Amino acid sequence: MRRFITLPLLFLALLNYAAPAMAEPVVVVNARSSVTQLSQDEVVNIFLGRYRRFPGGGAATPIDQPEGNPLRAEFYRKLVNKDLDQINAYWSRLIFSGKTLPPKSAENAAEVLRLLSANPGGIAYIERNLLDSRFRIVMELR
Amino acid sequence: MTLPGQGAIDLLRMRGLLLRSTLVVIFAALLASIAAVAFTAYITIQRAHQASETRLNELLDTIESTLSVACFAKDKTLAGELAQGLLSNSDVLAVTISTEQKVLVNKQRAQTTPAEDAHPTALLKRLIYSPFDSQKEVGHILLTPDPEVIEARIQEEVRFAAIQLSWQLAMVAFAVAAVMLLFIVRPIKAMSDRLHSMDPTTGERLPIPRRHGNTEIGQLVNDINALAERLVSALAAERHLRLAREIDEKKYHAIFDNAESGIFILDNTGSLLSWNAAFGRLFEINLAGPADQFSWLNIGLLAWDNPDQIAHLSQTALRQAHSVSEDLLIHFPDGKRRWVNIVLSPVGENLLQGVVHDVTPHKEAEAFARQLVVTDPLTGLANRLGLEASLRSLIQEYALSQRGGFTLLLLNLDEFRSINEGMGLPAGDSILQTTTSRLSSCVKNGDSIARLSADSFGIILNQMIQTDVADKICNHILALIRQTYFIDGSPINLHASIGITRFPLDANDVPNLLRQAELAMDSAKSGGGNTHMFFDPVLAETAEHRRHLQNDLRAAIQNHELVMFFQPIIDLRTQRLAGAEALVRWRHPKRGMVMPDSFIALAEKSGLIIDIGLFALDASCRQLRAWQDQGLDYTLSLNVSGRQIPDGLSPAKLHQVITHYGISASRLALEITEGVMLHDIEKSLRWLNAVHAMGLRIYLDDFGTGYSSLSYLKRFPIDTLKVDKSFVQDMRPDNNEHTLVGAIIAMGRSLGLQIIAEGVELPSHLVALGEMGCHYAQGYYFSRPVPAEEFATTATKIAALLAKPAA
Repeated sequence: MRRFITLPLLFLALLNYAAPAMAEPVVVVNARSSVTQLSQDEVVNIFLGRYRRFPGGGAATPIDQPEGNPLRAEFYRKLVNKDLDQINAYWSRLIFSGKTLPPKSAENAAEVLRLLSANPGGIAYIERNLLDSRFRIVMELR
Repeated sequence: MTLPGQGAIDLLRMRGLLLRSTLVVIFAALLASIAAVAFTAYITIQRAHQASETRLNELLDTIESTLSVACFAKDKTLAGELAQGLLSNSDVLAVTISTEQKVLVNKQRAQTTPAEDAHPTALLKRLIYSPFDSQKEVGHILLTPDPEVIEARIQEEVRFAAIQLSWQLAMVAFAVAAVMLLFIVRPIKAMSDRLHSMDPTTGERLPIPRRHGNTEIGQLVNDINALAERLVSALAAERHLRLAREIDEKKYHAIFDNAESGIFILDNTGSLLSWNAAFGRLFEINLAGPADQFSWLNIGLLAWDNPDQIAHLSQTALRQAHSVSEDLLIHFPDGKRRWVNIVLSPVGENLLQGVVHDVTPHKEAEAFARQLVVTDPLTGLANRLGLEASLRSLIQEYALSQRGGFTLLLLNLDEFRSINEGMGLPAGDSILQTTTSRLSSCVKNGDSIARLSADSFGIILNQMIQTDVADKICNHILALIRQTYFIDGSPINLHASIGITRFPLDANDVPNLLRQAELAMDSAKSGGGNTHMFFDPVLAETAEHRRHLQNDLRAAIQNHELVMFFQPIIDLRTQRLAGAEALVRWRHPKRGMVMPDSFIALAEKSGLIIDIGLFALDASCRQLRAWQDQGLDYTLSLNVSGRQIPDGLSPAKLHQVITHYGISASRLALEITEGVMLHDIEKSLRWLNAVHAMGLRIYLDDFGTGYSSLSYLKRFPIDTLKVDKSFVQDMRPDNNEHTLVGAIIAMGRSLGLQIIAEGVELPSHLVALGEMGCHYAQGYYFSRPVPAEEFATTATKIAALLAKPAA
């Protein structure tokens, strides 16, 4: 019995591992935004609610990929080396006060693009292949 | 221990050790515990702070991730929640959470006290790092711990420690006190109590406290007992010594104080260091001992006649280091003089011990005696020694000049002795003094008078040897003596005899001069006195003869040349031989039989009569014993001289001899003369009464020749009168003697006396006496005195004679 449980888990793990390897999120902003380049710290501050402004001024509105999108986990892992549970635990502490909210979570990946393009101050992470002119890469995650 | 209070004080005093040691223990424990508490407090504080910090750190640890979130997100709410949570911990007083830019929250507990400022350094700060980057600092938290809480915790800890220490301390102190009390204080207290009432001299000793036999206390008791032993013996020895010393001292003090001699101590400067009462009296120092004002009184300042003498004497004693003695004169300011004999003896250390006697009486007596030696105190004339000295000096003078010479007169008052005895010594003294003045009137300057004995005077006629002048002077002297003396108004007539000798004619030395003068004087006196006589060598020869005779007589007594003769006495009433008179004869080896008349006077003069008397007594008693043994009841009568009464022939001696021969005292009669009784009436009477009481008969001899005092016959215990032979021999019918004898016999008979007639030579005498009533007769008619060996024959003859009818 035990063998039957282990095998699907291993499969899942392989799957998860394989996906990020393929998907490489990049941090992008609305092309209309003046922001061209952001440091990793600046990206952390914005996504984890510390500052909601770009370093050059202007409000920043972070947009999260929907839950379940492997890119989201990939992004936070690469950004702050935390898994999503940890990120969620982090936010759960902050939500209590109601003062800082987690980034808006899009319904799907497409909505991310739409929200970003609609919001000049928006900032999100997407798969590189989805990149187009409406967006400008400000940071690459390696 | 009589009063409770006293007991408490005693206890306190005795428990001083306990108190003290307990206090020391408590003090030491207190110090130790204070140090321990302080240390505990210090450690506790340290630990409390550490513990507080640890707790706070742990607290921070638990909220660190949340805190880092709050700071990262700069979430004040979350920070406030965290701060509130922290403050709910009692250790935390205040919380400050800040980001780099601003303070998120700054909260304090509501009941904050101003003690906040007390520990500004006690703030606990922790840096807060980002939850996503452990290198990145996002803020810090400051925690202020609540000092009160820590304080309270410390206090509790310290109190607990203190309580614990107090218990321990109390236990230790109690244990120490108990041990001290049990093992030290109580035994010592018991010893002390016992010591208080203990008298070690009675042999009491401390007992060793129980269970302390081997402890130091036991050792101490043994030591105390040993000490007591030594003390008691030391005390006993000391007391003994002290007693002995006190007795010695008392003795010496008594001797010193009560001595009749003055005793003193002198140092080498002459200061008197000490003297006794007798010394003070002698020198009239008012105080008996050396009082302050008399300290260092110098001996030279005493009333010496010559202070140099005493200074010299003490120097001599110190220098010679042996005793010196001298007679010194004290001369008091009031003129009184006193002689003292002073003896100074060195006693070491430059000190002299002195003894002083008052020798004033000796000195005076000595001077007086010196005077007396040459002076007669009654008349003030020189005495025999004075006369001899004068003679010697005259002889020496003559030896130098070979000129002059002198005449020595020796004057003796005739019959002076009877005056002295008859009228008393004062009368005699008065006569002597008168004689002295009479003699002084008839000598010239350069002559001297001396009184040689009771009634003898010596006169030196200096530078005078002519016989005729001497004759004239002697006649003058004799005439002066013959002048009547008046004693208490009664006239007394005296005369004197003078012997004369001349220097250098008759003799050339003092003894010979005196002897010659005496011989001449005796010669003058034997001629009846009232005359003077020059010395004649014949006198010397006579005297020499007498001296020889005396020597012969002395030898005769020793050589048994004296013999007893017995003259019978006849009882006229019974016509029988009644006894005899014992008469002494000297059977001289050259001169034949010597009669008593020739030597009795000499014997009396020389005292030999005593020995002769004893010989006669012994011989008489022996004869009586012989007669008694032959059955003859004869009596014997023995002549007694005045010289033999009372001591020469004492009643005791008579008794002894009579008892020795075992004869009846009534057989022995003692013949005395009236002269015997005249000599010293009282003594003679006592002697007569004594011998009469022994049973001896007393005959009065030679009756009729002397005073024949009738009163004596009554006063003296006379048994028998012996009529002197001179009367009886001369009796003729109708002559005076016949009448006298008859009267004597009649008188004697009337007085109840027996009569013996001596000198019966003729039958007619016998007849006459018989008619007169005479009791006994004695005389040549019957027999001469015969020796003992002839007496029996004589008795036979007498018996025959008596048997014949009287013719």
